[in-house]
Formats: sequence, structure tokens, C-alpha cells
Amino acid sequence: MMLIINGSTDDAGHEDPGHPERPERLAAALAGVEDLHLGDDLLAVAPYSATRSELVRVHESTYLDQLGAFCYEGGGDLDADTYATYDSWSLAQYAAGAGLAVIKEMRIRGDGVGFVAVRPPGHHALRDRAMGFCLLNNIAVTAAELTSVGERVLIIDWDVHHGNGTQAIFWEDPNVLYVSTHQWPLFPGSGAPFEVGGLNALGATVNLPLPPGATGDVLRQALDETAAPAIDAFKPTWVLVSAGFDAHRADPMADLALSSGDFAQMATFAASFAPAPGRIALFLEGGYDLAALRSSVGAALGALLGSDPANERPTSGGPGAEVVRSNRDAREIALRIAHDASQ
Amino acid sequence: MRPINTIAVGFDGSPDSKVAVRWALTLARHYDAHVVVVHAVGLLGRFDSKNVTTELEESLIALCDECAIVHTRARLEVVDGDACSVMLRMADPPISADLLVVGTRGQGAHAGLLLGSTSLELAEHSPIPLVIVPSS
Repeated sequence: MMLIINGSTDDAGHEDPGHPERPERLAAALAGVEDLHLGDDLLAVAPYSATRSELVRVHESTYLDQLGAFCYEGGGDLDADTYATYDSWSLAQYAAGAGLAVIKEMRIRGDGVGFVAVRPPGHHALRDRAMGFCLLNNIAVTAAELTSVGERVLIIDWDVHHGNGTQAIFWEDPNVLYVSTHQWPLFPGSGAPFEVGGLNALGATVNLPLPPGATGDVLRQALDETAAPAIDAFKPTWVLVSAGFDAHRADPMADLALSSGDFAQMATFAASFAPAPGRIALFLEGGYDLAALRSSVGAALGALLGSDPANERPTSGGPGAEVVRSNRDAREIALRIAHDASQ
Repeated sequence: MRPINTIAVGFDGSPDSKVAVRWALTLARHYDAHVVVVHAVGLLGRFDSKNVTTELEESLIALCDECAIVHTRARLEVVDGDACSVMLRMADPPISADLLVVGTRGQGAHAGLLLGSTSLELAEHSPIPLVIVPSS
């Protein structure tokens, strides 16, 4: 199977000395790809900058104007976490367009696995605001393109932080099923199990918060028991993954306890819902320990491509089994209440 | 107008946020209200090993003394999230604040002039009354 990747844009201009969201992250992710020794089975598509019409599907026009102007005036801090530089506006548009280029190639070929290896990341970016290191919501731009041509898109977000931006953008969209595993409590503070989607899309948001220390077995339990039935019922035609790797036990940003082997298993889980070859793409989100990022990218993509890098063993024995069950109950109650209220 | 029993005020330790806390504490004394002093912990808050909670608690005690309000009327809440979202959540249970108070700008918020500062975002989205306290 071929890996179709877009990540060749020089991203060095988006950098703030000392900030953990740094260019070395992308180099580590691409090293994880190199470790797979794909040879002719690796196709790098040309960089593509998302157009205004592609961006306004998920972002407010005013926000795009302000962000562009802010960058061209030299940039600075957008909030306590998020920075932008002179180059950030241009790079963010390439990051937002990268997924579009990848799925275009995949649709032509009808085959392959997509990997959108870009920064800045995207899943915290809201319609009208940058947030959590994210400027434009890269995965949302691609999902919106797919739904505009009638596709039904499953987004699995396994970044350790809840993808509040993606959830908010598709809150009322019944053609996008958003499934998130994340540590809770943790930034951004959203992602409770009773957040199940808006009135037009009840059940199309599935949040699976996990306690600090949770291991892969607990995460898989949450996916199997709560997410899988919802995904089966949704019947996606495309699978996009917000692939952050900061749930790895070595990552300094959070306290989940996953290994690269767990990411391989999650990738396999996600791929099991792709209805045909060439219908799954991974988007790089977080991941701040460079060695863990490299090994986890290799493990996840290796699982999808049938390659077998020397992964760490999947983890087990951490806390959270009870939390998974109570979260499932909370979700069911929230759905019942919402359904009754909508009658 | 509903009574003011609980006031939520944003606090990041910056001079502007101290002005806002002083204003909120003074108002609380007038209305016999409680004050929830809210500190939002962003992504970098986790990355930074420095624990700011103790520092903020000490500042809060000093501000209570300055405003002649008993310490038990004000408590610090450290909450994960960006400042705007965290303040908006204060209007919901279990805090159910009746009034939000913020300074004009906090740490790292100079970009708000262009992109909508926390105070401007709150003014647009807050479901309860909001007071923006000028720094001078």
C-alpha cells in the first residue's frame, strides 16, 4: 500500500524560541516515516495552499482577514499559548491545504493511506479564533471539502487534548461524526461525555475522556464499547484522524500512559471503519517528545501500511475502566434527555 | 435584576487582573457576595513546571487584606482552558456566577487589539452581565 504524504513545505518560519510547538516536531514525524523504508511506496504530493473559499467553510471571514493582517504586521502572541509570526499566515494556509491535496490524490488513485504532516496543528482552532497552538483547523477544512461533495466523514481525534475547535465547527453537522479520546481534566476543559452534538446532529459527537495514567487497554475499551457502535450506525465513507501523539507516556504535556504500540492499535481501529481502500488519512496534531513522536508516527502508519516497525508493546493495567463505563452511561442519559427535549 | 451572590473574576497575576480583583472584592463587600477568583491554565501551563497556584493564592490573600474582606469570601479556582472559555463556564453550574469581571488585558494579551481580547470575546458571548475594569 502506498503512503501519500504532504509535508514538504519548509515550516521554519513558524517558530517561537523555547515554545514546544516547534519545527523539530515535523522533522521527527517525517523521520518516523523514513523509518518505514517505503521506497517507491511513498508519494509526496505538491504543497497546496488552501483558498479563501475552502477556508470560509469552517472559519469566519473576519477572522481570516485579522489573522492575515496580524501576521503581515509581524505577528506576536495571539493568546497565552499561541503565537504567530510574519510567515505563519502563509504556512497555516499550506497546512490547511495539505489535507485537500492528499485526499485529491487518494480519490484519483482509489487507494493509499494519507498522512498530512504539517504544522501549525489545527484541532483547537475555532471558527473565529486561534487557540492552543492552532491557527487554522486543518482537518476541518478537509472534512468540509468531503462533506461538500456528499461524503460522510468520521473524525477520530486521539490527541491527548480534546479537539474543541473541530467539535464546535461540526456541532450541528450530521454528516461528520466526531470521536475524541483525551485526558480529562486537561486543557481545553471541554470534551465531557454529555457533549453529544447539537439538535441537528444529536449523537454525532462522541467524547471519551480518560483519567491521568490511563493505558491503552482502557482506551481500547472506550473505543470498542462506546465509539464503535456509534461509528457502525453512522456508516462513514471517509475516515480522518486527528493524530496527536502527546498521549504517549513520554510526552511532557500530559499524563496518559500510551506506547507507540497503542497508536498502532488505534490506527488499526480507525482503518477498520474505512469502507474502501484509499479512504483514511492521518493529520498531525500534537506530540512534543521528539523520540516518542518519531516512533509513534512510524507505528501508526506502519500498522496501516502492513509494515512492522519495532514498536513498544501496547500498554495495560492503568486506571479508568470504571470511568469508561460511567462515561458511557452519562452519554446515553444525555442523548435521551436531548431527544426528549427535541420532541 | 437578579441579586449578585457570586462574582467570578479573571486573575492571571498581571497588574491589570489585580485591578479587576480589587474591584470585584470591593463590590462583593458591598453586596455581601462571594468571589470566585479564576485562573485559566493553558497548554503552556502544563508544559511549564512552575506551579503558579501558591503564588496566586498568596496574591489573593494580600488583595483581600487590602480590600478589608474576609479571606473566606474569596476562593481561587484553577481551571484548564483558555481564559475566555474558562470565564464563560463560570456562568454555568456549579459556580453559577451572577457577574463576570475582567481586566482590560492580561499576560500575553496584547494581540487582542487585533484579534479580540478576552474581554471583548466575553462581551460578545457572556450570558450574564460583564464588567471590564480599566487598568487606571
